[in-house]
Amino acid sequence: MKRMILAALLVPLSAMALTGEEAIRKSQAAFLYPGKDFKARVLMKLINQDGQERVRELMMLRKNIGEAGGEQKYFMVFFQPNDVKDMSFMTYKYPAKDDDRWMFIPAVNMVKRIAAQDKRSSFVGSDFTYEDVSGRDIEDDTHAVEREEKVGGRDCTVVKSTPKAGDADFGSKLTWVDKANFLPLKEEQFDRKGARYKEFTADEVVEVKGFPTVVRRTMKNLQTGHRTEVGYSKVDYDLGIEDSLFSERFLRQPPRKWVE
Amino acid sequence: MKAISLYKATGWSLVEFSIRRPKLVMLLAGLLTLIFLTQFPKIRTDTNPKHMLPETSDVRVWNDKVDKTFALYEDTIVVGVENGASDAGVLNKDTLGRIARVTDAILALEGVASRDVNGFTTITNVTVEEGTLKVGPLMPAAPKTDAEVANLKSSLFGNPLFLDRIISRDGKTTAIYVPLEKGANGAEIADKIRDIVAKEKGASVGNERYYIAGDPVARDTFGAEMFKLMAIFSPIAGGIMFAAIQYMFRSLVLSAAMMGVSMVAIIWSMGLLIGVGFPVHIMSSMAPVFLMAIATDSIHIFNEFYFRYREQSGDKRDKLMAIRETMAAVSRPVRFTALATAAGFAVMLFMNIIPVQVFGGLIAFGTVVLRLLSFSFIPAVLTFVREDKLAAAAGDVGQDRTARLLGHLGAFGAIRPRLTVAVAVALVAVSVWGTSKIHVNNNLVAWFKAGSEIRVADTAMNAALGGTSLGYVVVEGKEADFMKRPEAMRWLEGLQRHLETLPVVGKTFSVADYVKRINRVLHEDDANYDIVPDTQDGIGQYLFLFSMSAKPSDLDNVVDPTFAKANLWVQMKTWDADAMRQVSAAAEEYHKAHPLAATVKPAGIAYFNLVWNEEVLGDLVLGLGLALVVVLAILALDFRSFKWALVAYVPLLLTILLIYGVVGFAGKDFDMPLSVMSTLSLGMAVDFAIHFVSRFRQRRAEVGAGETPAETLEESLAWTAARPGKGIMRNAILFAAAFSVMMAAPLTPYIAVGAFIVSMMLLSALLTLMLLPALVMLARHFLIEEN
Repeated sequence: MKRMILAALLVPLSAMALTGEEAIRKSQAAFLYPGKDFKARVLMKLINQDGQERVRELMMLRKNIGEAGGEQKYFMVFFQPNDVKDMSFMTYKYPAKDDDRWMFIPAVNMVKRIAAQDKRSSFVGSDFTYEDVSGRDIEDDTHAVEREEKVGGRDCTVVKSTPKAGDADFGSKLTWVDKANFLPLKEEQFDRKGARYKEFTADEVVEVKGFPTVVRRTMKNLQTGHRTEVGYSKVDYDLGIEDSLFSERFLRQPPRKWVE
Repeated sequence: MKAISLYKATGWSLVEFSIRRPKLVMLLAGLLTLIFLTQFPKIRTDTNPKHMLPETSDVRVWNDKVDKTFALYEDTIVVGVENGASDAGVLNKDTLGRIARVTDAILALEGVASRDVNGFTTITNVTVEEGTLKVGPLMPAAPKTDAEVANLKSSLFGNPLFLDRIISRDGKTTAIYVPLEKGANGAEIADKIRDIVAKEKGASVGNERYYIAGDPVARDTFGAEMFKLMAIFSPIAGGIMFAAIQYMFRSLVLSAAMMGVSMVAIIWSMGLLIGVGFPVHIMSSMAPVFLMAIATDSIHIFNEFYFRYREQSGDKRDKLMAIRETMAAVSRPVRFTALATAAGFAVMLFMNIIPVQVFGGLIAFGTVVLRLLSFSFIPAVLTFVREDKLAAAAGDVGQDRTARLLGHLGAFGAIRPRLTVAVAVALVAVSVWGTSKIHVNNNLVAWFKAGSEIRVADTAMNAALGGTSLGYVVVEGKEADFMKRPEAMRWLEGLQRHLETLPVVGKTFSVADYVKRINRVLHEDDANYDIVPDTQDGIGQYLFLFSMSAKPSDLDNVVDPTFAKANLWVQMKTWDADAMRQVSAAAEEYHKAHPLAATVKPAGIAYFNLVWNEEVLGDLVLGLGLALVVVLAILALDFRSFKWALVAYVPLLLTILLIYGVVGFAGKDFDMPLSVMSTLSLGMAVDFAIHFVSRFRQRRAEVGAGETPAETLEESLAWTAARPGKGIMRNAILFAAAFSVMMAAPLTPYIAVGAFIVSMMLLSALLTLMLLPALVMLARHFLIEEN
């Protein structure tokens, strides 16, 4: 009897609020798709448990091809470490299909296609995976609202995402989605044994051209103590990046105006 | 010991007190024993070979640093899968399916560092297919078609990083390397892996054999065997001793007393060890057997008591008087033998190997307890021996056949001293020759018997793959990115080729292998590009490309984050310490021939074993030297004569030499347990010489003095060989009986120790009874003048 009353109370509530999937969809749109295009200079610090630091510095350009949740193109040029200067990397991201990736290797003056069979592998040796950087297919998981909670004084919806297939290295994920701007303020990834193993935090959010943007973020591996801190600078949106930029020709010789 | 002399100084005698208040003494002993017994539930074992050396030892500090720098795991379980039935080996759909399922189940285990498990489904592969570079797991899912199997096969055999590591050259064996998180319970995980494997076996009619090996498994097995030794073999040894004593004295009270004394000593010592917080280690697990054997020294008291009682004339027999006389006659030798034994063990406190130190302290304490009991508990028990039983057992000394035989033995030495000594000299010569063949080596895997699961797994894996014994060669440049320089990378590659010329080395790998692999793959798998590129940028970019998709640990395990240092993995096919010595020497030699501005240092568990092995050798020399000096000093102190000490020393030295000779001829590795045994056996075997010489000189003082001595020198020697000699022989036989049980133990160090002590005791008793009389005869002018 009690249970029925409880259920009756919950139905109208959950109907009013977002479902888990809607929250994640809105969150991805706000986090990964704002603007028609986007540019930022990215400084990644890879820090091991002894505090030793390695640095990755790159310019990142993104262009949306369709609506939020649709196809995207990424273009990255590396500045640091020194020996990888001028290496560049390009991704065509498709929903529900393997990405296309290319890499330019200046030392052998060669553009190589790179297979994207494992989205869970590390992005340039950091604690972020490719999926963490460019998003995980929403359809790969089931999403359910767990609870509501504040993060840094902001109201969040906590969504639990569980992979439908066992292909991922994580068992589940909790995302704290900001109720106001839908940015993910925190994320906890659990491994297949149910132990917490990675934690994402959005450390600083600023508004650029009206888009709330996470300009400082950290991904921490709780099992190894390794963490990656990322800072964005020179953030800009809607610059009118041409489609032609995303080609092998420019991969070899990126136009100066986009990489400065 | 101190306590006893204290009692004497105050005019109060422990013996006197004990025979007056026997019940109180026994009650007190029982109560103390109960207190020590309460500590037993806290017992824990330590079977980690690393703990042989202190945490602050250079090698452990260095190894810990290397583990940290290169994100290496302390413990890895290796699961070997062998399919020898089909020509395809493990490369068929069925077996691969099972391997995938087993790996998957292992990844889900608590305590397994899943992210770094390396097997077919998880190991990083770098390939190029239709112009696309692929960096990812070798076999993400089990192949469903024969074409996929063929693909896998060509990937495996086309990548030198995999050969001898996860696939054998004949394709019949593979391995899954399962690193464990810090603090994970290796034994539990190994059990769960066994369950996983058993489930697969039950569900199908596969032809695979599974091997589960690795340090954690070895340690766990070791621990179980240690408990077996303590819980099964020690009581059996006790039972045998009990039976032997019962046979010798035919008095249940006496036999029970002897066992009681050793039980009390064992419980006090082990209780103290556990209570203080020390874990039980391979050495201390042998303590019960040792204490039981050392307790047999009380035999001399019983032996003498029986003789004394018998010598009293029939109607005036007085038990208490016999006890007092006995204690007066044997107290000095018993005290000094205890001192010698305790000192022999205490010497081990100066050694560098922790379990040996603990063991030495433990037995030294136990020996003191035993002697304390000899002067309290044993006289107390003697008061309970029924007179009629004593009378029944008491016959005439002359009619004792054993004593007569021993008397003949001693008489032979006394009558034919030159012949006896000549034979001894010949034996010395042969033994020295044998000793020169001794080979110091500690091979921890060889500590398990040949048919044990560990040995079988180790042998199979070593035959099929690169080797189970892992060492590292760490190359440390001075600045960041040093290892990215082509000359450094080529140097590393050259060192690998050089090390691989050693027959003990089965496989090496380093960051150079990744660089070469990527170079080749980028150039459409052209074998001409299986080389280190010419520029630092090229190397840096290749490694960056690799790190973009590989597991972080792939690079972390072979280079430090700043690329100043590289870690070269060396798999060896044997756990012999010598293998790592060869690798070390070869690396040094290569560095000399090809100078590089970097330091080159060995590391890893194999290196630890090498260092430890050398510590054992150092300890052997140090311990033996110390023990020799201490024992000689105690002899001289006891006899108040350096000359007598020297003579009594000879049978002891000869015994040790003979055993070393046999060890040398037999080709048995001289390892830690043997090294420890040889040190402390000095302290135990010297007992016989002490008893013999003390009692002989007592005898001479009684019957050999004056113008017309009642007995010739030869007769006195024969008497000593017959009377205290019987005690010596009984002692030796009991000792040997107790230790003979260890020869059936499941670990080879126990067997070796058992054999060592058995032969040591019997030999030294025999030599004392035969050679000592001969020496006394030959040196009589030198010795007796002083008298």
